[in-house]
Amino acid sequence: MFRRLATALGASQAARELRWMRAAAAVAGATDLDAMVARRVRGEPLQYILGTQPFGPLNLLARPPVLIPRPETEHWVTKLADSLAPSVHNPVSLLDLGTGSGCIPLLLCHLWPPGTVRAHAVDISPHALRLAQDNAALCGISSRLCDPKTPHNTFSVSTANLLAHDFAETASRIHSSYDIITSNPPYIPWKEYLELSRSVINFEDPKALFGGPSGLEFYHAIARFVSSKNILKPDALVALEVGHDQASTVESIMLATGKFQRTEIWLDPWGKRRTVIARTRADIL
Amino acid sequence: MSSPEDIARLRHIKESERLADAWALWTHTHEQLKDTSALLVDPDPAMRALAADEITALAASLNTIATETFPSLLVPPSPTAALSALMELKSGVGGSEASLFLADMLRMYQRLAANTHWRAAVVASNPAEGGGTKDAVVEVVGAGAYDALRWESGVHRVQRVPATEASGRTHTSTVAIVVLPLPDESAAPDASLFSMSDIKLEVMRSRGAGGQHVNKTESAVRLTHLPTGITVSMQDERSQHQNRRRAFQVLTSRLMDRKLTAEMEARRDSRRSLVKGADRSEKIRTYNYAQDRVTDHRIGLTMKNLTSVMEGDGIQHFINAVERHHAEGVMLDMLEE
Repeated sequence: MFRRLATALGASQAARELRWMRAAAAVAGATDLDAMVARRVRGEPLQYILGTQPFGPLNLLARPPVLIPRPETEHWVTKLADSLAPSVHNPVSLLDLGTGSGCIPLLLCHLWPPGTVRAHAVDISPHALRLAQDNAALCGISSRLCDPKTPHNTFSVSTANLLAHDFAETASRIHSSYDIITSNPPYIPWKEYLELSRSVINFEDPKALFGGPSGLEFYHAIARFVSSKNILKPDALVALEVGHDQASTVESIMLATGKFQRTEIWLDPWGKRRTVIARTRADIL
Repeated sequence: MSSPEDIARLRHIKESERLADAWALWTHTHEQLKDTSALLVDPDPAMRALAADEITALAASLNTIATETFPSLLVPPSPTAALSALMELKSGVGGSEASLFLADMLRMYQRLAANTHWRAAVVASNPAEGGGTKDAVVEVVGAGAYDALRWESGVHRVQRVPATEASGRTHTSTVAIVVLPLPDESAAPDASLFSMSDIKLEVMRSRGAGGQHVNKTESAVRLTHLPTGITVSMQDERSQHQNRRRAFQVLTSRLMDRKLTAEMEARRDSRRSLVKGADRSEKIRTYNYAQDRVTDHRIGLTMKNLTSVMEGDGIQHFINAVERHHAEGVMLDMLEE
């Protein structure tokens, strides 16, 4: 069993993954170890086999074909949580575009103090929205303000197509305008898509990865969206994850809207320019 | 309203309560002994026999109070009594045989933890090719875990015929153990130990384009504490966040250990202390399978029935003996001051 895995993954990675699979198989009612190893050897992502992916202090569910949360995303969302301090007296409204598993808004709802954020997430995939809702339940984040006496953060979902011409209207109907907009939109260009590893291309949703021929289609759509009337509050922040070589271009796209006074680019732990942060006002936190 | 004097007095009374109780027990037992002695000359032989038994028991009680209860009241409470422990085990000399013995020792400590109601969890381990464990890090959570397990730091030597040895020759191999204090995770990080600006955090593998392009679990991290050069690598958890947390935990343990060791050396009882600075390369115990015995070299204690140590509760006896030796050393130092 170990040998088959080691051939596919290399010895030390195989040893680690086998240990995790063993631990999962030991839980009552789980599928047996042999079946898990067989699936892994065929290239299926470990996260789908185990059904979970740790993300910050959360342990999120992972289900095909919804995009598995990446460590790069874990890193910038944690940094974002540390850089802003929303207050209970003035809760922020947050919109996450293309939420997938819900990892971005859910981690923020978990890290920020209770009652400081009203998060809403959209995705075109019903699979993703169902998973995001399951993850919200797992994290104990409800979709409505249940008890006015106990402050808590809220997370709700709805179906939407970011590329639709009326997306801005759809978004306005949920919240009149937003303090924070986050997104890890599909950003892989066609050329690179063809070179992706088997475990990505065969198992994760292409709609969550493919960003059009240039890979930038969604960033243009987001630029149009934030330029729409009343989408951004006067003191708003937009945080966008980007592909390995897209940071400068996406930064330019956002600056070209004329809506932002200040932008910055955050590095990920592997030294890639991974996140574009755009602020409407230079002096806000 | 209590004045500061009242509070100090109350504390004094509380502390001397234990001494007062012990003294009361001593006096009472002594009285009983005197009364029972009178019956030793009773005409009834049955009565004399009963009295003799009773006196033996009472004398033993008095002995315990004199040699254990009173002295223990003199030893100051351990400043590290509340701390949990982080045990690092590494195979030394002996290759795969050392790794097999390491796996045996792991089981021994896990059993000890279970019996003592501590929570033991292997947080990192590397399997050896022969089937044992090359190295492992175990978290033992519970009050008193550090105080008990700190005496396991050092080199453990095993002499036995390896399972893989065809010719039946005895081999000697070693396992090195380092036990570090483990601070309570829920407690705020000890600002006096380190600051984030002293830390370099690195990821260990390249991810190519990374992000959406890659869904491999690549969570290995390496932490370097720049002022001391201590590095901690962690890759056994499934996310960056989790590995980072564990790495900081191990770093905190190592730094706290340095601090405690330095404090101990500064104090006078380091002269008699068994934890001699950073000399963890000392051979502290030999496990001899052929002769079925375990010897602790620091206190010269040998126990027969090696199985009781490796598979039973024997290890507890060694720990108690070494702890007692340490406590006696502390007391002697105190008396000399």
